[in-house]
Amino acid sequence: MVSIEIDGKKIQARDGALVIEAADDAGVYIPRFCYHKKLSIAANCRMCLIEVEKAAKPLPACATPVTDGMVIFTKSPKAIDAQKGVMEFLLINHPLDCPICDQGGECELQDIAMGYGSDVSKFTEKKRVVKDKNLGPLIATDMTRCIHCTRCVRFGAEVAGVRELGATGRGEHTEIGTYITSNVSSEMSGNVIDLCPVGALTSKPFRFSARAWELVERDTIAPHDCIGSNLKVHVCNGREVVRVVPRENEAINETWISDRDRFSYEALYSDDRLKTPMLKENGAWREVDWETALQAVIVGINKTITDSGADRVGALAAPTSTLEELYLMQKLMRQMGVNNIDHRLRQLDFSDQQQAPVFPWLGQPINNLENNNAVLLIGSNVRKDQPIAAHRLRKAGVRGSKIMTLNAVDYDFYMPIMAKIITSPMDYKHQLAGIAKALLAQTKQPAPNGFEKLVSKVKITASHQAIASALVEGSVSSVLLGPQAINHPEASTLRMLAQLITLLSQSQLGYLSEAGNSVGAWMAGMLPHRVAGGKDADKTGLNALEMLHKGLRAYVLLGVEPEIESAESVIASRALNDADFVVSLTSFSSEAMRQYADVMLPIAPFAETSATFINAEGQWQSVAGVVPPLGETRPAWKVLRVLGNLFGCSGFDYITSDDVLTEVKQLTKDCQTDNTVVWCCPAPITTNSNADILVRIAEVQMYAGDSLQRRAQALQNTHDADFAAIRINKACAKKFGLKDGVKATAAQNGTEITLPVVVDDNVSDNSVLIHCGLRDSAALSTDFTPISIRPV
Amino acid sequence: MANEVCFSTLHLDKSWALSTYQAAGGYAVWKRILKNKTSPDDIISELKTSALRGRGGAGFPTGLKWSFMPRNTPGQKYIVCNSDEGEPGTCKDRDILRYNPHALIEGMAIAGYTIGASIGYNYMRGEFYEPYDRFETALEEAYKAGILGKNIFKSGVDFDLHSHIGAGAYICGEETALLESLEGKKGLPRFKPPFPASYGLFGRPTTINNTETLASVPYILANGGKWFLELGRPNNGGSKLFSVSGHVNKPGNYEVPLGTPFAELLEMAGGVWKGKELKAVIPGGSSTPVLPAKIAMEMDMDYDSIAKAGSMLGAGSVIIMDETTCMVKTLGRLAYFYYDESCGQCTPCREGTGWLSRVVNRIEIGKGQQQDLDLLLDVAGKIGGRTICGLGDAAAMPVMSFLNHYRDEFQFHVDHKRCMV
Amino acid sequence: MKIITDYFKSLVLIELLKGLMLTGKYLFKKNVTVQYPEEKTPISPRFRGLHALRRYPNGEERCIACKLCEAVCPALAITIESEQREDGSRRTKRYDIDLTKCIFCGYCEESCPVDSIVETHIFEYHGEERSDLYMTKDKLLAVGDRYEKDIAANRAADAKFR
Repeated sequence: MVSIEIDGKKIQARDGALVIEAADDAGVYIPRFCYHKKLSIAANCRMCLIEVEKAAKPLPACATPVTDGMVIFTKSPKAIDAQKGVMEFLLINHPLDCPICDQGGECELQDIAMGYGSDVSKFTEKKRVVKDKNLGPLIATDMTRCIHCTRCVRFGAEVAGVRELGATGRGEHTEIGTYITSNVSSEMSGNVIDLCPVGALTSKPFRFSARAWELVERDTIAPHDCIGSNLKVHVCNGREVVRVVPRENEAINETWISDRDRFSYEALYSDDRLKTPMLKENGAWREVDWETALQAVIVGINKTITDSGADRVGALAAPTSTLEELYLMQKLMRQMGVNNIDHRLRQLDFSDQQQAPVFPWLGQPINNLENNNAVLLIGSNVRKDQPIAAHRLRKAGVRGSKIMTLNAVDYDFYMPIMAKIITSPMDYKHQLAGIAKALLAQTKQPAPNGFEKLVSKVKITASHQAIASALVEGSVSSVLLGPQAINHPEASTLRMLAQLITLLSQSQLGYLSEAGNSVGAWMAGMLPHRVAGGKDADKTGLNALEMLHKGLRAYVLLGVEPEIESAESVIASRALNDADFVVSLTSFSSEAMRQYADVMLPIAPFAETSATFINAEGQWQSVAGVVPPLGETRPAWKVLRVLGNLFGCSGFDYITSDDVLTEVKQLTKDCQTDNTVVWCCPAPITTNSNADILVRIAEVQMYAGDSLQRRAQALQNTHDADFAAIRINKACAKKFGLKDGVKATAAQNGTEITLPVVVDDNVSDNSVLIHCGLRDSAALSTDFTPISIRPV
Repeated sequence: MANEVCFSTLHLDKSWALSTYQAAGGYAVWKRILKNKTSPDDIISELKTSALRGRGGAGFPTGLKWSFMPRNTPGQKYIVCNSDEGEPGTCKDRDILRYNPHALIEGMAIAGYTIGASIGYNYMRGEFYEPYDRFETALEEAYKAGILGKNIFKSGVDFDLHSHIGAGAYICGEETALLESLEGKKGLPRFKPPFPASYGLFGRPTTINNTETLASVPYILANGGKWFLELGRPNNGGSKLFSVSGHVNKPGNYEVPLGTPFAELLEMAGGVWKGKELKAVIPGGSSTPVLPAKIAMEMDMDYDSIAKAGSMLGAGSVIIMDETTCMVKTLGRLAYFYYDESCGQCTPCREGTGWLSRVVNRIEIGKGQQQDLDLLLDVAGKIGGRTICGLGDAAAMPVMSFLNHYRDEFQFHVDHKRCMV
Repeated sequence: MKIITDYFKSLVLIELLKGLMLTGKYLFKKNVTVQYPEEKTPISPRFRGLHALRRYPNGEERCIACKLCEAVCPALAITIESEQREDGSRRTKRYDIDLTKCIFCGYCEESCPVDSIVETHIFEYHGEERSDLYMTKDKLLAVGDRYEKDIAANRAADAKFR
């Protein structure tokens, strides 16, 4: 600590701190544009010039470290003169178009100009005009307003990891733009909107829809990925969400959010939004009041239970639902004797669910990801799946930590990758077994029971050795299972091997689960075999896959569209259509849903309902609804409560959602947070016999993960919203006679689909990437199973 | 008393050849240092005795600069020669590269040895094609003769020297912008501190010196620091190359001892052309303040005397202007130069240089208004001392000095919409 | 004594004559009564009457949907909704003034950066029902179109004081 004096105030500052940091801590405001606490120092705007005793010239506070005994004046005539001078320069070429600028009213330049600007400009020359750049569907540009602070450029280089924006030209002709005309495609690109101190980069979907002073800022949580980023929602007129910005939380999302969290709000006002309860009578839909709709549900479900028994009813919920909803759903179902309850629609392997941890989680706090020295990612496109987690990992990678991947597609991670194994999904277990074998050899630990036989045919490669030694050497190391591993047909084997690897290398096993409340769904007991708090259910019901395979008589759906969200979309669609009675609690209706459902109850999506989400690190985050539900929409927890009462169930007399939460908290207070499970030797791995079988990689398309994202128009127009296609590498394409851009037919378990071929050498051999979550690819049967391809 | 240091071999046939240089005693110092393993401290103290000051413009004592290099830091260090001679009026470094490249090579090798750098870079201006060729040939000769490379003369000392050619940006003459450019990035000056001595090329400790400074080193070490000091004046040791340009009969580079009266230098350059009267002198390159004839004729050409007269020695580029020169037009050209060469990184320089240039231009074409004169001073005052690098000061200084000494001419332009001369 | 002088004054009708004098004086003076509605008083160019939305000479509406008038309106009489028009410009999709709320303070006019919303010299308007006094964008533009010449003249007359 050093002692310094700012404006006559004696304070203690951290050694090596910058003057601006010390001043901020002391509550002394120094105007700034280019300085941002999360970005490197540029010192180019010169707005923070201050006077330092014994310094001949004014010094930039953002680039001057404090020294002991430093005497700083931020408001002396000399400092003010310097700041006003800079302000004048900034304003000479800045257009006076505040009335049509979206930043007007919340603009840093506007604010600081009020304090340091002059009312009349001495500049009588023509102002500079800069051509606007096209940065894609998310970011609107008015480059004439740019003040060249380069925050956006530094964000790209330092945080997003892709240098998509840069300053070209020299002097007065400096322009911020992209390389030639490619647009900005980073999955975190929206953050430049917040970073831009002026109106040069603004939100395209928000463009011109409201002024800053009309908006009310309310807190909420992002429901999409397992990070649970903290958000601030900007509400116009007290009823409409018009914009989403990050809420700073150093432990979770720092000051960033992914584009998914920022722009998904658009879906709230999509045409698909269901605003009134709907009832199908004689094949025709009609709008009804709540009472009629709920009565229809009671009659429909009761009839099925009486006719076919409670075990012919199933409940499926989306893992993006709130904790309260998930808890009430399973409570309602269990009270009615229905045990077929699940949220794991994409999962294929349920064989080890009994041994599974109470809730599979990250195994460490999110901010600890950056402290890892070695990380092995299995079946994870972390950059697109959980951009914030990827950012943490990138920090580790850039620092020199060893990031390693085992994937079916050579994803473009923007960090140094120490080792990567790119192979067919069917080959994952060989690779993991190889790593485990290498670890056993390296650490000379006794092999667990049955392991010798398990790996007898597995050969250790150099990559296995490298990964094994990196994990052993890393003092903090993790093995992370991504969605593609969790939803793998041999997930239990992969999990067992991954766990063995972590035990041998003393690293942490973690799950990068797919949705915002996956952990919450486990906690709340939205599972066939466990009730809330992870206790075993009296009777184990059918899991999601079985429910659809067996063809139940009635289904209750909570926020799910199983026809695209299930691992077996075709079977899901068939089962729902064949059922006698389907009730869907949903925020959105679709053509397919109108086909299979009998009653559609409009429930409030994120932002319209009070909610609790438990993120991957097990953090409970509760928020109130920020806008009133649209139309006749009601929060799902209220709908479920009323259903509980109407069904005559006990314990459904909640008054607020907090009552529900308290009950869940009570039930889960003793939850074990251990990810490890008892060693149970998987079946021996034979040879690499799968090498010649073509397998489908079913990665969920980046913006198709849940019903909100799929309906957010701007997100759907981005690069990352890849269209449905058969993606295959050059060698495989040649083998099957496929050509880039020409259509081909993919067939699987009696289902067929014709899609254009995209030759992509990042896809591993003997595998085909066909994104799932898309309606265009939903006609194809199963994820991660053999597939055949032929030209049309 | 002229041509005693960098130009001492100028009169010889093919002065740029290795044989010529060696015949004149070149590389003897380098060999001696390698043989005796002279301690770097001795070299630095010799330089301090000589009072050699940086010849690139700032005039920082070279011995002191070298002593700032961290001695005991492990890892790579670099010596970089700044031959990005872009200051309008300066043309001395190119002649060293052309006529005495080996002096520079020897100087860099000695510098590398002294500061512990085994790699040197010579960053040359993009337009220097002929000098670049000469220097490359000289490098080849030196490598062939075993003067550079690994384990030179079996002394165990390594020194590799590379030349790099810029892409035509004035700003790359600023040492940190030069380093950025050398690293392959856009030439934008870095904020200091940290100084290159602690965080330089590729983040390693680096010393950057001007061509003339480095080329003087072998002569100083050969003849002793005292000899060099006595060539010039106390605190202004040695002789200096002056590039005399403008309205003189014999424009060119003149190596004269520091402290030579300006009048004498003017005489060497053949006096003002066409028998005209001297009007003004810019003594150190376009970024130094202009001096009217009366003051200039009484000043001596050394760092301290010129500073006393109200200007700077800079890089020693003396621009002579005769009585027919329009000072408004001259300033207009200078202001345009800085406007055109501003890198655009920091606000005052990016926005201010263009403003200055436009206002001066407006005055020149007769569209100026009374308040424009004060506006110029105001804008220049807001640029000077508030930018990341010195370009802001360089752009502001001429404006201030021109208005200071020739305000009446600007006033005349405003009042009569035409030129006074 | 006073009683006597008062008696004499009333006897010679002096008070009546005094009154008649004033009548006589005004009988020959210029008439000041304005015969409204046949005649009208002069109106200041700054008069704040019915609102109008103006256009540029090329027919483009001036309003840029900056919402400053909405923000400044002390009676909350203005309601604006903005959007991006197809050509990319910022425009209103709704611009309503509720004349029953309006207090004719002129702040809207004052705050307008493009001289779009103005208060004309029209004060003789009526509505047969409340909704007639709810001015929509179309109505306001129609007023502007009709009186543009007068509005422009008034702005010009007042220009040097603004």
